[in-house]
This record gives sequence, C-alpha cells and structure tokens, in this order.
Amino acid sequence: MELPIQIAKDSPEPIYYQLEEQIKALIASGQLPAGSPLPSIRALSKDLEISVITTRRAYQNLEYEGFIQTTQGKGTFVADIDDTKKEKVKTETVYKAIQTAVQTALRHDYTFAEIEQIFQQVMVELREKEGS
Amino acid sequence: MQPWLEIMQLRKTIDDFQLGPIDLSFEPETIHALIGKNGAGKSTLMKMLMNLAKKDEGQIRLFGQSIQNRDESWKQHISYLPQTLIGCNSFTGLELMKLTSHWYSTWDQKYFDQLVQMFDIPLRKLYRNLSQGVQKKLSIALTLACDTDILILDEPTAHMDIPSKQMLMDILVEWMERSEKLMIIASHQTDDIRKLADYLIVLKNGQLLGKFEKEELASRYKRYFLQQPLPNKPIPGEIGRKGKQIVITQQQENTEQYLIEHQYDWIKAESLELEEIITIMLNQPIYQKGT
Repeated sequence: MELPIQIAKDSPEPIYYQLEEQIKALIASGQLPAGSPLPSIRALSKDLEISVITTRRAYQNLEYEGFIQTTQGKGTFVADIDDTKKEKVKTETVYKAIQTAVQTALRHDYTFAEIEQIFQQVMVELREKEGS
Repeated sequence: MQPWLEIMQLRKTIDDFQLGPIDLSFEPETIHALIGKNGAGKSTLMKMLMNLAKKDEGQIRLFGQSIQNRDESWKQHISYLPQTLIGCNSFTGLELMKLTSHWYSTWDQKYFDQLVQMFDIPLRKLYRNLSQGVQKKLSIALTLACDTDILILDEPTAHMDIPSKQMLMDILVEWMERSEKLMIIASHQTDDIRKLADYLIVLKNGQLLGKFEKEELASRYKRYFLQQPLPNKPIPGEIGRKGKQIVITQQQENTEQYLIEHQYDWIKAESLELEEIITIMLNQPIYQKGT
C-alpha cells in the first residue's frame, strides 16, 4: 500500500500540507479510487520519515474535507467523492502549478510579457510532441 | 491525550555525575527516541523507569499511579530490553522463553514463534554460544512477545546486520499497531530515529535539553546560501557560518525576517539533516530549553 508521495523537506510549505495536497491529487486524478485502502498513520509516517503527529494532522484534515474515511478497527479508505469536488481539486492543482511557474519567472526578473512568450513557446512544443 | 507515563523532578547522583531534574510525559500511540552522547544518562533514565536504578528524588507515575509501591503489578504493563542481558549465558532460548512467558500474562506465544522464525533464531543453543547479533535478536523477540502496553528499548539495533535492522524497523512499526502502545527507544542510529521517532528527547550531561516533535525541531533549522556577503557580527538565530555567504540558523523565522529587512537575497534555503541538528544540539553550550 505504498503511496507515490514525495515530501520536499526544503519547501516552505508545511509537511502536513504537502501530504494532504498530494493525497487529494491522487484521489482527484482517479489513481486512488473510492474504497482504496490508505496506509496506517504509523506505516506512512515510517515510509515518509515523519512523525505520526504530522501524518495524523493530514489525515484528520482529509477526513474533515470528506476525502477519506476511517472505520474503527478496519483502517482508512478513500471516500466516495462527487465529480464536482474532483474537478475542483484538479483545477486547483493545475492552477497552483502554473502560478508557481510564473512566480519562479518573476523571481528571475522576467516581465509578464516575456513570461507569456515562454508560455506560448512551451505550448507549441508540447502540442508538437502530442501530435507526433 | 492523557499521558501513560510521567516523570516529575527526577534526580539521581552517581559519583560526580548528576542526572536531572527531569520532567517528562509520554502519551500513548507515540514513539519517543532518547538521544544523547555516551554517558549522557539515557540508560540510567531507562533503568529508573523500570525501578532497576534507585532515584534520589522525584516521582515516576504509570497510569497515574506511583511505581514506588511495594506491589510490583505495574511491571506487567512494561517490558524492557536492556543493552545487555545479564545472567542468561547458561540458558537456552527455549528456557529463557519459558521463564519470560511465565512472568507476563500478556505473553503472545504465536507472535514469539513468528519472530523467532523471521530472525532465524536457534532456540536450542545456549545463550553464551550465540553471536552478539543473535543474542540481541533473541532478547528482542522475548521482549516484544510480552506484548505489554509500554516497551522500553535500549539500543535495540546495536550489533545487528543491515537486513535485520531494516526488518526490526518494520516489526517495531507493526508492534505499535497491535493495540494502543507506547515505545521509548534509546538509539545512536539516525535511521531508527528518522523512521520511528515522533518525539526526540535530548539529554546532555545528565540534563534534559527538551522533548521535541521531530518536524517541529527540523523546521527551526535552516541553511541559507546568500547572494551577498554578511556583516561580521552574528545575525539573529545564527549558530554557524561557512565563508561569508552560507549561514546556519536555529531560529528560522527570526533569521529570515532579518534577511528580508536588510535586503539580503538568498539563492537557496535548505533544511538540515536530523543527524546535523542532533550534532549541533549536543555540541552547543546549554542555553536554550525546549518545550
């Protein structure tokens, strides 16, 4: 039951938040369908080398937001979530990725016009790849 | 959560070594790693928790009850793995199993058999004829199979081969999930600490530096690679420098605030490895207490 999760210890984002967002993305993308079991808090903490306090916090938030469900004695499972919610997470994930990219460019003193140019160029390259 | 085990104002003096005063509490479903240099007082503290070393002052409470009572029924709740088992040499594993299982009403024979098989422990050999690593495996199997609420392990992975260490880590994680459990482990192995510990209890020369949640501790320390050289005087939170443009802090927020206010840009800010943080804590003069 190992999850493809990578914690960036150097990131300014808190670890529980990274964990939360990555599990959400796995659920929204359908990689973790409803009913899939999640690792126990202790097992996931060991794999990610973080404390159970951090993992528990992420699981609690996910449960509160309705992404996962914990059944006493049975474990934690992916909840049945509706498509609107999945869609919302997807949009947020993509939006955030682009936002980060733009911020990186701004930090390197690019102007908005230049960033747009790069964006267009990336789009052209990827379209060509898709087409071939 | 109510703590299962509490230590209050615990003190002990052995010759010119002073341990304490120590105040600590241990909640269920957590793993605490005891960390310190050799001779910092880790083993003594563990022995005092088992009432195997006498305390001079203070109190130890288990489930709210003092362990100082004549009645030793509290020992049913704790199993302890010392660094070295004494007095076992002329017994076989089977005999030690019979002795241990007799003492604990919670003894789980099936689990013991499983551990013996996993670690490939010969039970018919005399303890003294086993290698140090196998002796350790046997004593771990004996300790874990007691299946007590609380487990105290003094250097469980010492002398063990690499695959066995990895296996033990998984076994300990699974042990924690057998029911509500509490584990206290003294270790010099950073791998044990990184993978198992929720809290780090740091001892230095008999003094408690503090009990720290692992990520909370890690988040305090950062290494900044700056674009401009720093002034000569130390900046807030600074604990070390390499050249003029690399600085290490243990108060990440204060340092970052200073850098922003004084318009120092950085190329990179990176976290420190746990090993590095522990080294800094144990080598630094004592001036800051944890929570």
